[in-house]
Amino acid sequence: MAKHRFRDLPLQIKMTLVYILSSFLILAVNTSLLIGITTVSARLQRTYEDNLYLNDLSNALSDVQVSMTEYLNVKSSDALEYYYINDQKYRNLIQNLNIDVTDSSYDIMQRNIRNMSEDYLNLVSQTIEAKRGRNVEKYRMRYESATAMYNYINIYIESLNTSRFEDNSRTYSDISKSLRSMQNFSMIVIIAVIVTNAFAIINYTGRLIRPLQTLSESANDVAKGNFDVELPRVESKDEIGVVTTAFNKMVVSIRNYIDQIRENMEMERQHKEKELMMETHLKDAQLKYLQAQINPHFLFNTLNAGAQLAMMEGADKTYEFVQNMSEFFRYNIKKNDEIIRLRDEIELIDHYIFIINVRFAGEIRFIKDIDDSLLDVEIPSMIVQPLVENAINHGIRNVDYDKVITIKVKRIDNSVCVSVKDNGVGMSEETIKDILSGNSKKNSDSMDSNGVGLDNVIERLRIFLDTEDVLTIVSEGKNKGTEFLFYLPIKETEDDV
Amino acid sequence: MKRKYRGTRYFYIIAYIAMIMVTVIVTAGFLRVYLRNDTGASGKEFYDKYYVLITDDRDSSFWQSVYKGASDYGLARNIYVENFGSDLSSDCTKEDLMRMAIAANVDGIILNADESEEMLGLIDEAMNASIPVVTVNSDCTSSRRISYIGVGNNDLGKEYSKQILETAATLITEDTPRVRVAVVANTVPSSGQSIIYASIQETIENSKEYGRRISLEMVMVDEKNTFSVEESIRDLFIADDLPDIIVCLNELDTTCVYQAVIDYNKVGLVHILGCYDSDTVLQGIDREIIDSTIKIDTKEMGEYSVEALISYDKIGFANAYYTVDVILINSTNIKEYLVTEDTNGEA
Repeated sequence: MAKHRFRDLPLQIKMTLVYILSSFLILAVNTSLLIGITTVSARLQRTYEDNLYLNDLSNALSDVQVSMTEYLNVKSSDALEYYYINDQKYRNLIQNLNIDVTDSSYDIMQRNIRNMSEDYLNLVSQTIEAKRGRNVEKYRMRYESATAMYNYINIYIESLNTSRFEDNSRTYSDISKSLRSMQNFSMIVIIAVIVTNAFAIINYTGRLIRPLQTLSESANDVAKGNFDVELPRVESKDEIGVVTTAFNKMVVSIRNYIDQIRENMEMERQHKEKELMMETHLKDAQLKYLQAQINPHFLFNTLNAGAQLAMMEGADKTYEFVQNMSEFFRYNIKKNDEIIRLRDEIELIDHYIFIINVRFAGEIRFIKDIDDSLLDVEIPSMIVQPLVENAINHGIRNVDYDKVITIKVKRIDNSVCVSVKDNGVGMSEETIKDILSGNSKKNSDSMDSNGVGLDNVIERLRIFLDTEDVLTIVSEGKNKGTEFLFYLPIKETEDDV
Repeated sequence: MKRKYRGTRYFYIIAYIAMIMVTVIVTAGFLRVYLRNDTGASGKEFYDKYYVLITDDRDSSFWQSVYKGASDYGLARNIYVENFGSDLSSDCTKEDLMRMAIAANVDGIILNADESEEMLGLIDEAMNASIPVVTVNSDCTSSRRISYIGVGNNDLGKEYSKQILETAATLITEDTPRVRVAVVANTVPSSGQSIIYASIQETIENSKEYGRRISLEMVMVDEKNTFSVEESIRDLFIADDLPDIIVCLNELDTTCVYQAVIDYNKVGLVHILGCYDSDTVLQGIDREIIDSTIKIDTKEMGEYSVEALISYDKIGFANAYYTVDVILINSTNIKEYLVTEDTNGEA
């Protein structure tokens, strides 16, 4: 966490820190250079200090000598006072001279000047005393000694002054050179610092702004409608980080929302399509049915009248036939609703087989293997009858042997398996494929058909069961018959029944 | 990418710190180098005693060598020895320097004295002011100086005599039955000079073989004025009354005679017996213009001077005489001294 502490600071503080840091660098460098230059300048000013001091010393010494000579000449109290002042002044000045013995010739010379000066001042003092005591011989002798000493001291001061001057001139020259070097150096350093600073600031502000640029590019893409942009990475917890996080959340939310809408629309579309298809197929079935049976009420009433006539004439078989015919058509009128019970469908098969057997002179044997408990299961109308019709027309119509149609209704797991099987000519694999893919139309055009084709049956089963694989056709080969199988779901209530 | 950023950031931080450090260090370096005079005080050596060496020819290699011997010996014992007057801009006489040294209240004086009255007075004045004085190379016998450090003048005279006799032996033939020997002496009285001369005189007179064939004379040169020695020696050559052998008793005389012999084209005609082993003198021997020279152990001379002052300071007295060794250098052993000098020069 500590590593990212700086990165997570607010933008304003970061910018301020950058400013302060760069200012501090310049300040530190400038201060350092300034101290250097100031120190060197101060040293330069002090170069000739000791020469000035030695000049003062020389002047003070001269004043002592002059005031002594003056007093010896005129013996005035002014001259005496002047002498005392100068004596004191000179004494004060020589206090600054070195007194130690060191390896520096300057120190040694200062020490010698100091000692000689003290000796000289004593001599002068004695000379003045002698003068005051009017001891002419003594003060003359002492005056000469003092003057000789005065000259020696002067030689010493002059020599020291000269050598100090030479030394100081060298120092002055060195310091001037160093000052110039420092000025050049300062210039180079300041330029280097400014360049480094500029690079550092450009680099740092660049890094501060980069996430903002990425964010603005992403925002621009989103504004153009492209929601599949790569989400900008959140690198810090500053204002930019906060905005980026919010932006990312917003983009993700919008994407989810769009996906949801798209899904809903797709579902709605599928639903409508299904409804539309169901309607279409039903219409198609009804249309075909109506085409095949012009006015079933009229036919039904007519057949009823025929049945009564047959009964009155005592033609029982005709009566039964007409009665079955009548039931068959009544079913078609009565069970016009879309969804019916399997029981009704089986009943219709009974009537149908009777009618067909009249036509086929009882050649067709009809076997039912049905679990009655399952007959309440729901099924679209006109599903089983077209299968039986198909089995007769294409399976057993032209065979020489015993013609058998078997209907089985049994339970398998949670489904009711309905099987319509014949022992006719069988079907080739190609025919099965054609039928299941809806390419076979010939059955609906057959003369003996009631008009509902296999493809119609398959399509309605698909819509009803909401799955593609609704019908299984099994044929083991030529003259080995064909079996149609389909499964209906058992609802709980039916299961209970 | 992240790592790269971090690397760049560290680079700039390091660059920042480096920039500040370089500036501070270089500025500090400037100040240290150019203002070292200000901090010089701490590098000073302090000494307990302050002795001065006072001579009349402080720039000659002889006295420089004596000074070095004294100074090195003194420094090892925390004593500062100054070649007094070398820092002064105007020339001062030995007497002036003596007065200055007394007034400056030095701790001891090493003096190339003479027998003059004035010098005598100054030495006594110094002793009265509790400043011990040792005389070196030439003495002031009647003064109260504590010690004299120099060669044994009698022995020196004998050494010169031996050289004179050897040279004379090569010169005396039937055509030149007598050999003239001139001893260059200074007008300022010096006991050493007199003793040497007397010693030479005595030894030659005692020589049975050549005693009567050698005439010894003293040629006085004036050293009172700055260039008078050189002029006096030139006068000797101009007079065209040259001796066969010239004996010089100090470095300056030897050098002047050597130069004059070359200038007046008297090489081979005049035999020089010199004193001291300066480069010029050794060169003269190497070129066979100077026959031989007496090398005085100047280092030892300087050391003895300081030793005498230390001894006096510690126990109140010192040996009255310190004898310094002498070595003869001539064409037979010159190579080894030239090599030694070179080595010393390099060292």
